[in-house]
Amino acid sequence: MTGQDGTPPDEFPGGTPPGTAPAEGAGRPLALHELPPPVPRPRTAPASPSPAGKPPVARRARISRRAVPYAVALGVWGAAVAVTGVFASDYRVYLRFAPVLAVAVLGPLVAAGFGVRLLFTRRVVEARAQVAAEAAAEHHRFLRRLDHELKNPLTAIRLGLANVSASGRLDAQGDGTVRSVEEQVARLTRITGDLRKLADVESRPLERLPVDVGVLLEDAGETARELPGGAERDVSVSVPRVPWPLPTVAGDPDLLELALENLVGNALKYSGPGSRIELRAFEEDGYVVVEVADTGHGIRADELPYVWGELVRGSDARGTPGSGLGLALVHAVVDRHGGRCEIRSRPESGTVVRLRLPSA
Amino acid sequence: MLLADDDTAITEQLGPLLERSGFDVRTAHDGTAALAAATGAPAPDLVVLDVLMPHMDGREVLRRIRADGAWIPVILLTQVGESTERAMALEEGADDYLNKPFDPYELIARMRALLRRSRTGLPPLASSRVLRAGALRVDRTARRAWLADRELVLTPKAGALLDYLVTHPDELLSRERLMEVLWGWESASTTRAVDNRVAELRRALGDDPAAPAWIETVTGEGYRFVPRVEAER
Repeated sequence: MTGQDGTPPDEFPGGTPPGTAPAEGAGRPLALHELPPPVPRPRTAPASPSPAGKPPVARRARISRRAVPYAVALGVWGAAVAVTGVFASDYRVYLRFAPVLAVAVLGPLVAAGFGVRLLFTRRVVEARAQVAAEAAAEHHRFLRRLDHELKNPLTAIRLGLANVSASGRLDAQGDGTVRSVEEQVARLTRITGDLRKLADVESRPLERLPVDVGVLLEDAGETARELPGGAERDVSVSVPRVPWPLPTVAGDPDLLELALENLVGNALKYSGPGSRIELRAFEEDGYVVVEVADTGHGIRADELPYVWGELVRGSDARGTPGSGLGLALVHAVVDRHGGRCEIRSRPESGTVVRLRLPSA
Repeated sequence: MLLADDDTAITEQLGPLLERSGFDVRTAHDGTAALAAATGAPAPDLVVLDVLMPHMDGREVLRRIRADGAWIPVILLTQVGESTERAMALEEGADDYLNKPFDPYELIARMRALLRRSRTGLPPLASSRVLRAGALRVDRTARRAWLADRELVLTPKAGALLDYLVTHPDELLSRERLMEVLWGWESASTTRAVDNRVAELRRALGDDPAAPAWIETVTGEGYRFVPRVEAER
């Protein structure tokens, strides 16, 4: 990508992943109904909000804006007529007509004030959206720079280890050390690979194919049973077929499958043998809702708002291998599809992740 | 062979490793030096080219090598994972590419596969617009494929997979490598996405996995495209 080499690294904007609530909500677990809307993509023009998602505020501002000049003109004319008519005669007539005059003059002024206020609110909303879009774009550039800076050193280390191994001058302990270091390099390589994956998901053109979420869920259930630990968990998949099957989702089947795989992987990793894992889907208000639920050890309430961030690992998860990028990836995939993610959890009881995807 | 990368930490390690594997290695650390070494005499048998280099980037060097005429096999070490970048790399005539950080033995395997092909004297597949394998005809620039007279209807990923398979015939392609080719990354948990696309291709080609004529599964390792592929002139 242009501008990558030689670009001095900028400050990472506060660690807030795109799409989560801004700093003023920090510390309070997100309730299901108060999730922020998806952040506009960096590539779309932030200045013009999409027609489909126009908030009611903007619509009312439109109507008021157009009406304001007419209202003002009418009011001024009415006021002028009234005043000349009234002042031409006795002042007592002026007093009698005071209410009418008040309405004729104050009315349009109030309407104008209302219109101005609505206009201002709309501008604030647009400005906020623009700031959020720029933060998302900068975040994306950061991911690319990070990936770029890590790749060469990792490659050099890997090559050095291969050379040392191949030299044949190591004893058994030396061999063991090299292997151990190679494992750590592999771990770092996975993290950079996941970061690249994330940056890619955020920017690649999305395929728009009709995706049968039911089939995806069945496949994810299969995958769950095949992964390590799957045999010791009770995995069930529930997809409605009655009275009618789920509508399709317009999207990229591979990305959606990747998102589900990550959720299923988490459910397996963070639960003990004998736990139950349920994959569910249902239709609601023009959305296909997918839920992955487990009876694992859950996530602490104070950590819950931050789970969608990159490289975030729960403090209870430290013993389990993972890059901390799975949920960030899920969030990016769902975001690109115009959907939303929600998570609920109770420590020692379990967790449910809900993905809301617009149906085709 | 020529190894071009501006990062000396990499060339200082990779050079000796390749020499130990039987290659005679020359190194270059920027684009202009790389171009001079690639087009001068004696010409290298193969070039491993990093994309981001000072003075001239790897893609420009590749373009000029191709413009020079003789087809030297080139492996690009692409710096970014975005699919459009990879597509451009292949369209500009790279024979193969590898994302950093890579497994050095994977690089060596790909180098050997490319040299095997170029030593047969057959025209390189990467440079051909149309390839034939039996009844299969693939137009790479138009991104269309026909089996006898019937055009194959494939999802974009399956099409990209077919393109990679016909340009790397008779090579053992691991699932991880195919994941990297098609998506630019390796999946952390499973490579099921690759299996799905292979299944789709097999259905389209009418291939029986039990007795494959087109795509063979090498158990535990990956896939291999079985038929002979020729460039159509």
